[in-house]
Amino acid sequence: MSSKVLAFINFKGGVGKTATVVNIGATLAKLHEKKVLIVDLDPQSNSSVWLMRPDRWREHVSKGRRSSFQIYDDALHGKARFDFDEAVVKGVVTWTGFTDLPRLHLLPAAVELLRIEDRIHELRAPVVYQILDSALGLHFKGYDYVLLDCPPNLYSTTKTAIFAADGCVVPYVPDYLSLSGLMVLAEQIAEMREKFAPYLPARRKPNIAAVIVSHYRQAGNVFRLAVNELELSLSQLHATGLLSDRATLLQPYIRHCVRVAESTSEHLPVILYAPASIGAQDYCDLTQRFVDLFEGKK
Amino acid sequence: MNYLDLSSRLLQLGERLAKHAGKIDGETLGRSARRLAAQLDAFEEHLDSYLASRKSGELLLETLIRSPAGKRHLTIELLKHGLRQIAGKRLKSGDLPAAKREFIELIHEAGKQDKGVEFLQGAFAQAVHVETGGKDKLHLQHEFIRLGQLADEEFAQEIGKRTFGELRRMAGVNGIKFTDKTTKRRLTALIRRYAQRAALNIGVARVPSQT
Repeated sequence: MSSKVLAFINFKGGVGKTATVVNIGATLAKLHEKKVLIVDLDPQSNSSVWLMRPDRWREHVSKGRRSSFQIYDDALHGKARFDFDEAVVKGVVTWTGFTDLPRLHLLPAAVELLRIEDRIHELRAPVVYQILDSALGLHFKGYDYVLLDCPPNLYSTTKTAIFAADGCVVPYVPDYLSLSGLMVLAEQIAEMREKFAPYLPARRKPNIAAVIVSHYRQAGNVFRLAVNELELSLSQLHATGLLSDRATLLQPYIRHCVRVAESTSEHLPVILYAPASIGAQDYCDLTQRFVDLFEGKK
Repeated sequence: MNYLDLSSRLLQLGERLAKHAGKIDGETLGRSARRLAAQLDAFEEHLDSYLASRKSGELLLETLIRSPAGKRHLTIELLKHGLRQIAGKRLKSGDLPAAKREFIELIHEAGKQDKGVEFLQGAFAQAVHVETGGKDKLHLQHEFIRLGQLADEEFAQEIGKRTFGELRRMAGVNGIKFTDKTTKRRLTALIRRYAQRAALNIGVARVPSQT
């Protein structure tokens, strides 16, 4: 299976990283029959508790076992306690008590990931960057898409995701704070491209593959102007070589939808919780464009 | 519980039952067993139907028709076109919910579920609206940024060279909202303000000269 490994990153918080990962992942599994793995790397564990009931999640990741934390802990202690098959959760549990979306798998995060950043500097490059790729690379081959939900920073855990990924997807809220962050992010990724080059196969170069706009509102021209500034900025980044020509601003933009927020409390992706909502429809259309982009049907 | 857990439980139950089958009796147990058997009949029926529809591609066809994309993009015309193309048949239903049901039935009758899925996926992909902004969008965006970098006098000169229609096009492409009642003067002021903002925000603003 030719898998596409994508890191969803933005060091600005609240831009819709988790919503994008969860809902694109679910739509890929449900409507495109793709086998999808979501890897939650954020200590806040938002993807995990969106797709799992909190009591089940707590029990599953107890003491960090059966979570992405174990991968980093093993690397720090030179152990091999992480067991992929044991850690991965298959499907999401609906109100019936039984699972739906059997093609959607989740490697949950645990809050213990917070401790990792304090100690990860004990490992040296390139070992530190290779942690995730070494632990999961072989398992990735069993999926059509692997979506890495990164924490809102560019520290070591995120770097391991960028190293393991074929490309980065940047969720973005149309405002100036996001815009300024995007330019810094593009520079940082360009730096990583150089730093990682000796350790990566030639076909894999860290880059921004797509930008996704969320929390969009049609009212007034506030968001239209902000998206225009984003387009201008992307054009400038293309011109300076910080962004590859293939980097795309994906449409449609995800409109603000209360049903998406509500679906987090139901621990279901919006396509299952409120399929008639504008949120579900936007994510369906966006996922179509996502597939077109990453499967070369652009 | 997931389906794998359920299957393990049923296997364990089956083994226990087989082990003690020759020894168990009684009315309470018999009544409960009868209820379980009825429930199992219903469950088996659902499972068979699910597996058959999944194997034939009908499940995905139905999933797509009832999906959020189906709700947004499917029209009777599209279903008519699809049915004619796939099965060479005519759709008779006049309202959309009935047309969807008829589409599924006729595709199923023709045994062309896979073609039906292909058609819907293709139709949804085409229907996803992407705003391109027209061929000259990139040029107008670059012009916008250039205008944002100009000093007041240079800006006024540049604006003077453009027709009202050209200014409206530039404003529209660059996200500035205006109405039919917006005057050229007002539109010019809006372009000035937002072009300067864009130039500043994307980091290409020229430091104003101290004149």
